Amino acid sequence: MAGPLALALVLGLASLSFIMRATGALLPNLPAAVTARTSGLAPALLAALVAIQLTGPNGVIHLDVKVPAVLVAAVLAALRAPFIVCVIAGALVAALLRAAFHL
Amino acid sequence: MRPNWSMRQILLAAAPIAIAVFVFGASFGVLAVAARLPAWSVVLMSVLVFAGSAQFAAIGVIAAGGSVLTAIFAGALLNLRFIATGIAVARSLPGARLLRSLLAQLSIDESYAMSVRAGEPGRPDGRTLLVTGALLYVVWVFGTVIGALLGPVLGDPKRLGLDAAFPAGFVALLWPMLAGRHAVRCAIGGAAVALALAPFTPPGIPLAGAAVVGLWLAR
Repeated sequence: MAGPLALALVLGLASLSFIMRATGALLPNLPAAVTARTSGLAPALLAALVAIQLTGPNGVIHLDVKVPAVLVAAVLAALRAPFIVCVIAGALVAALLRAAFHL
Repeated sequence: MRPNWSMRQILLAAAPIAIAVFVFGASFGVLAVAARLPAWSVVLMSVLVFAGSAQFAAIGVIAAGGSVLTAIFAGALLNLRFIATGIAVARSLPGARLLRSLLAQLSIDESYAMSVRAGEPGRPDGRTLLVTGALLYVVWVFGTVIGALLGPVLGDPKRLGLDAAFPAGFVALLWPMLAGRHAVRCAIGGAAVALALAPFTPPGIPLAGAAVVGLWLAR
């Protein structure tokens, strides 16, 4: 990725994150009903990110080595394995399957 | 009422978290460099954003071929929860509004959780938040630097399965959030809407759809 584009990414995300953290501190009297709704965002987005990562260029679920990789990571996460163990296991599953079947 | 934690207590409780954050930072650095971001921008992101899951999401979007705007959108939406934690810690932070809004930048999931544990019901401990947040900030940036330096040494990202590391990481971030029926409902709804929209909308729209569903199904 070109430098200016990377800088735009960093500064865009940084400024929005700054505003969000500051908002709560500056406006502690926001209605609880409003903020409670934001609790649903993270699970919905992360699940959507998992789903999107498993789709091919046509936007349909694409059965490749990422699918078993995600399943292994999910099982490990369910067993309360640390984050890094899930990530490495997922990458390892994909790498091994690729090497074994020349995918 | 419990007395506030001593500095020693705070640091002892934060030490294992700091190790985990270091490793998380290093893995973020490796993956971000593998996603072809310049190393300096990867480190700058950790310095300025300081939010693991948001940074991870933004890089994941880029690695999957998404645009910069989509990446910012995904990361920023994940950080919306910091509005709620900011409100929770606002009364516990010292100083006037401006100082408080600056100190609130040290709140991440881990430092917030520690401040809740150390505080009284409804009033997280401000000092624990600041000490833990500052420690984790240093460790997060340092971990990113190590990861960004290590990344290019590792070799071809795809042969190493690093493309699968993103969905694997998202699952690992998602799983601990699935406590309670509301969160499960939001996750299933978000994934379903994203998959329904993905075949015929540009990248970004499926994530926006998932965000709307998350807001709608949360309570």
